[in-house]
Amino acid sequence: MIELSFPIISVLIALPILGASLMPLIFKTSQKYIVIYAAIISFIELLLSFYAYRLILVNGTGGSYNFIEGPISIIRHFGIDYYVAMDGLSAPLVIITSMLSLLVVIGSRDLISDRKVLYYSLLLLFQGAIMGVFTSLNMILFYVFWDVVLIPMFLFIGIWGGPRRKYAAIKFFLFTFVGSIFMLFAFILIYFSVAPNSFNITDVAGRIPLGLQIISSVLFLIGFGVKLPIVPFHTWLPDAHVEAPAPISVLLAGLLLKMGGYGFLRFNIGLLPEASAQYAWVFILIGVITMFYGAFVALVQTDIKKMIALTSVNHMGFVILGAFTGTVFGISGAIFQMFTHAAAVGLMFMLSGYLHKVSGTRDITVIKGLKFTSPRLASLLVFGSMAAMALPIFSSFLSEYMVIVGAIAVNPIYAVIVAIPVITVAYFLWMLKRVVMSDPTTSRIRHHDLGNFSTLTLVLYLIPLVLTLVVPWLILGVSNPIAEVYVNLISSGVA
Amino acid sequence: MNIPIILLVLLSITALSIPIIHILFGKKGISYIRYLTAISLSISLLLLFGSLIGLISQESTLPHLLRTDLLGSFFGFIVILVSLFVVISSFDYVKDHSNEAIYYSLLLFTSIGMLLLSFAIDLLLIFVAWELMSLPTFILAGFNKQDKLSNEGAVKFFVLGALSSGILLYGISLIFGLVGSTNLYVIADNLASLNSNLIPLVMFATIALLAGLGLKLSIVPFHMWIPDTYQGSPTPISALLSAATKKAGFAAAIRIFAVIFPLFSFDLSFALAIVAVITMSLGNLAALTQKSITRLLAYSSIAQAGYLLIGLVVLPYSDLGLIGLLYHSLNHAILQATAFIAAALVRLKTSSTDLTSYQGLSKIMPITSFCLAISLLGLAGIPPLNGFWSKLVLFGAAVDGGYAWLAFIGLINSAISVAYYLLVIKRMYMDEPKTVSNIIEPMSFKSVLLFATIVIIITGLFPNLIYDLSQEITNSFFNQ
Repeated sequence: MIELSFPIISVLIALPILGASLMPLIFKTSQKYIVIYAAIISFIELLLSFYAYRLILVNGTGGSYNFIEGPISIIRHFGIDYYVAMDGLSAPLVIITSMLSLLVVIGSRDLISDRKVLYYSLLLLFQGAIMGVFTSLNMILFYVFWDVVLIPMFLFIGIWGGPRRKYAAIKFFLFTFVGSIFMLFAFILIYFSVAPNSFNITDVAGRIPLGLQIISSVLFLIGFGVKLPIVPFHTWLPDAHVEAPAPISVLLAGLLLKMGGYGFLRFNIGLLPEASAQYAWVFILIGVITMFYGAFVALVQTDIKKMIALTSVNHMGFVILGAFTGTVFGISGAIFQMFTHAAAVGLMFMLSGYLHKVSGTRDITVIKGLKFTSPRLASLLVFGSMAAMALPIFSSFLSEYMVIVGAIAVNPIYAVIVAIPVITVAYFLWMLKRVVMSDPTTSRIRHHDLGNFSTLTLVLYLIPLVLTLVVPWLILGVSNPIAEVYVNLISSGVA
Repeated sequence: MNIPIILLVLLSITALSIPIIHILFGKKGISYIRYLTAISLSISLLLLFGSLIGLISQESTLPHLLRTDLLGSFFGFIVILVSLFVVISSFDYVKDHSNEAIYYSLLLFTSIGMLLLSFAIDLLLIFVAWELMSLPTFILAGFNKQDKLSNEGAVKFFVLGALSSGILLYGISLIFGLVGSTNLYVIADNLASLNSNLIPLVMFATIALLAGLGLKLSIVPFHMWIPDTYQGSPTPISALLSAATKKAGFAAAIRIFAVIFPLFSFDLSFALAIVAVITMSLGNLAALTQKSITRLLAYSSIAQAGYLLIGLVVLPYSDLGLIGLLYHSLNHAILQATAFIAAALVRLKTSSTDLTSYQGLSKIMPITSFCLAISLLGLAGIPPLNGFWSKLVLFGAAVDGGYAWLAFIGLINSAISVAYYLLVIKRMYMDEPKTVSNIIEPMSFKSVLLFATIVIIITGLFPNLIYDLSQEITNSFFNQ
């Protein structure tokens, strides 16, 4: 474990929240530089995350908690502490949070025009809260950040969303809040089951009785499953994505869904290894069903955004599957998958926003001949689709491959999931054929292509994907140590 | 210093002098009356606050009637704080009403009743304080005498209130007959040596007490008057009823049941747990379908009483029970008062309590909308607002006391409640307003709302402030 002389995680959490609360005061009259202000804060966050990440990577301390702060008591006699740290599971998520937040701030410049002060302050609040989710070591602190994330997202969808935005916003909030209630109940049960009572993950790890582990597994399955999402708790997701503005969809798919994956790894695997080992097949089965369901339903969509949303369902299935294989390949692959999916799906959602802007619709069957009308957008769409369907020029290939290898190592029957990338390729290629490779219709007005700046920011999404394919150590160097820790926990649970 | 006696004198003199000032100065005297009421309540609040944080040491001059402990100061603080909120927001609400002077006088009498109830340890004094608290509220509830709804609410309230007083008194007389005393601590001593054949009668008397108190605690099945009365009353009075008189009722309930409960061989907790489940579920489910904000808040108030009951259920088993009960009492009082006062302002400006008048409110009345939204989120238990922490402690107490299922039902209820709170927020922030013209928000309302909202946020971010206090009170209450 590494210690620093300054509280880097607290800065990561507090800086955007502070920036958000100052924003209404600074931009009371003029809103000219608001994007720059938000971008600067996000950029500082990115630098800090890089710094922290690099330290963990170089020292190879992904398997233990680094930069520990606390426990500082919030409610002294009720075990609620401020207690944060970063390990090999948090670090990749922290870095992707910083990257996507910065790209979303910049990308919102073109796509969001009203109530800017509220929008950008919520954006920063969201960023700070989600940093808290990925670094909390106290279960109640984790829950607080988990719920704080919901409020900006509720307002994002409800205020800046599409025609059915209010319905989608409320559905989103209710689904995820109800899920979180189950999670909170498990936390309270765990608190009273260990002596001395504690909400700190480090205190309760390895001391939860098996019966409670099984009950908590079920409660966590609902709590995290709604977020991930797993079938049948996924129905909020297509609605939320279709109605949310494109930059918010990026956050939703890129970061919010990762909270579910993170929860499964941190709590189900980390805290309940025995129950997870015994009932791994249940979770794997749910993962496989989720993957197939997402893939098949995506196949028939005509709204490109809904299609991308459902690919997320499909891709997040890999995370739950990888996590519960109990192999280093599987778990490390699951973490890697969260990283690559965030970048790939982020790009796709951003593109869907621009597509909507230039062609006035998101209907796959209506948009035609994109390669003639908007060549830059068309090329990026092709690249983005390649990343999303895990073609071996992007690291999403690697992460899915790792999960598949991990699964087959456990039981050859899981080889069936090799079919998933095939279906994924099918619907992406079909979409590209209809949207990009077709002849333009004369009836439609002339399209406009992306500007230089927008193109540049969109290309930025692809860089981490290429980089981590060439040098996968960049992620695996951090995620493998924690995967090994978890594998040891699970194998001791089986024995 | 004997706080309750001093405050009794101070507030009574103020309350009695108000009609005299009104007669002497006529219309011009109204502004004096307003400030006099607010100042006397503020002084009371400061004294209570001083005794809470240990600046003022309390002594008891009437030890058989009043127990001057931290618990009393705590509930006294809650009820006086809410009364002060109500008085300040009434500056504009009952402005130019023909009976404005009497309004403040009655408010002060209610405050005295609630204050005495927080400290009383003698069943007879509890009854007297109970009546002193209730009688002025019957009149205040029907204050708009031209308004049919107000009359209906007041009559309903009065009839049920009189019934509950009767039941309460019946319970008290039974207890007196059985043990020969009305002092709670003497009762406790004598009950322990009571002939076991008489235990069923004690049980019956206890249930009578619970039923009598239940009316103010707004627990099912004594909740019928609440939606009608809250809707009909002037809305600041609804705030008073929901946030203050209910808390005073809980203070009496804690004193009675903490003393009587441990003596029973039968399990009254389980029965209370069932009542708690029914209360919270009925409140939340009924709130889902309401079309008027005051009725919605009324049902939400019933539901919150169900959460508070969890504290009473586990009172004998876990210290967390009383901690959670105290903690949630204060938080709920502030949250509910804020919500009702915001609703009062909207009613004053749009003369409607209908939920449709909240459409696009964030653009017309930004401060009111913000404060209402924060208080609703707090009531829903969304972290990091104060309502979350106290509910968490209550649910934790349930698990600790062996009632894990009750905690689970409470959590499910929280989830249900989010739906209707959220729909109000949706109307305010996502719907389009009917008119675009801004409405001026009066200073008196704004100051109360903003102050309360800041308290909600600060005590949410630093929950240990009140948790530690609740714990200290609990320790001193059980160790005295």
